[in-house]
Amino acid sequence: MSEHTETPKNDWQTPTGRRTDEWSECLTLISQKEDRAAFTRLFRHFAPLIKAFALSGSNLSATVADELVQETMLKVWQKSGAFNPEKAAASTWVYTIARNCRTDMFRRLNKFDTPLAGDDVYPDQEAEEPFSQLQSRRSREHVREMMQELPPDQAQILAKVYMEGKSHAEAAGELDLPLGTVKSRVRLALQKLQIHMENYSYG
Amino acid sequence: MAKYHPDLDLITEYAAGSLPLAQAACLSAHLNYCEQCRRTAGQLEDLGATLFDSLQGETVGDVQLNAVLARLDDVPPLSYAKVEQPLAGQTPALLQRLMKGEFADLVWKKITSTLSISYLSTGDPGYEFALYHIKAGGKIPEHTHKGSEMTLILEGGFSDADGTYHQGDFLYREPSDVHAPTALQSEDCICLAVLDAPLKFTGWKHRWMNPFLSLNAG
Ligand SMILES: [Zn+2]
Repeated sequence: MSEHTETPKNDWQTPTGRRTDEWSECLTLISQKEDRAAFTRLFRHFAPLIKAFALSGSNLSATVADELVQETMLKVWQKSGAFNPEKAAASTWVYTIARNCRTDMFRRLNKFDTPLAGDDVYPDQEAEEPFSQLQSRRSREHVREMMQELPPDQAQILAKVYMEGKSHAEAAGELDLPLGTVKSRVRLALQKLQIHMENYSYG
Repeated sequence: MAKYHPDLDLITEYAAGSLPLAQAACLSAHLNYCEQCRRTAGQLEDLGATLFDSLQGETVGDVQLNAVLARLDDVPPLSYAKVEQPLAGQTPALLQRLMKGEFADLVWKKITSTLSISYLSTGDPGYEFALYHIKAGGKIPEHTHKGSEMTLILEGGFSDADGTYHQGDFLYREPSDVHAPTALQSEDCICLAVLDAPLKFTGWKHRWMNPFLSLNAG
């Protein structure tokens, strides 16, 4: 830090990739000490977001949304030991748990019987090399900054796809747009956020 | 190292949780072989988290908080010992779970002299999720489909008019693409195929089989 004089814009403090923001600390306190005060802080921050996530674009009742909040937060408590601040941002980690719980809940509500849980389909990320940690940290910062500058039609599609959990085809149907338009808006948005794949062949 | 990958649309739907279960399972199995796509999926999850963070929060009362606090003792934090990463080239854990054994232990349905199929159950009512075993040098009769076809090579490899594919390679075919894959001469090929409509053989020699190829979804 000594050579930097300006205040860092983000909550990353050390060049080793260690994340030191409040939510990561809470998760570490939970996994190491079963710290309920830390869990309560985490709950107050994330529970309203999880509930909003549950209610966006779905016809879930408030009761079911509250259930999703409870389930997700219990999983957060239970799985806190798997959180590795060097691999993931706390908010990404909580988001993926909420996403998986929501998918499982949709399947349960639709009496969709499967031997696979959301967690099976989204395995924990492997440890990354320090170099790619640095890269993913940069890309995350870039995504946050650029998100503000997306044109509304592109931001709207991303919200539909992610927060409402709609496939591109479903989003096209609801917005009354051709599928090609939806796909190209998503692509343009991802391009601006610099999420792309290099040297790719599509099979 | 895989050479053929899912496109960004598919990985986005996967990261957002909107891909149908059977397709998500196939894509997840590709990630097992492909660091590049794992990283892309990670970036797309970060994007999801950014959108999640900027949601307008809904009120959650203390009743909810207390209800969760009261249940914490029932689910103590799990301990995560350092698990050895599976060796590259091993059958993805998710498939091992669905197979409940080795390839050899599965029930294989013989379709032609070189092609056998084993159906696995994901519970997804819209998709057939099956393993194809093609004998070395054997051919899958030329076929097309009414729907989409996702393929992931698990062992050996095959080639068709568009290229040659090896372990970990991922292919996505749109409805009505016609192809006739041939397994490599050197070894048998096992691949995972996820279909939303049955295959349709196009060659005269195998067309008579079409009525028997109904979709085995679920
Ligand atoms: Zn890949």
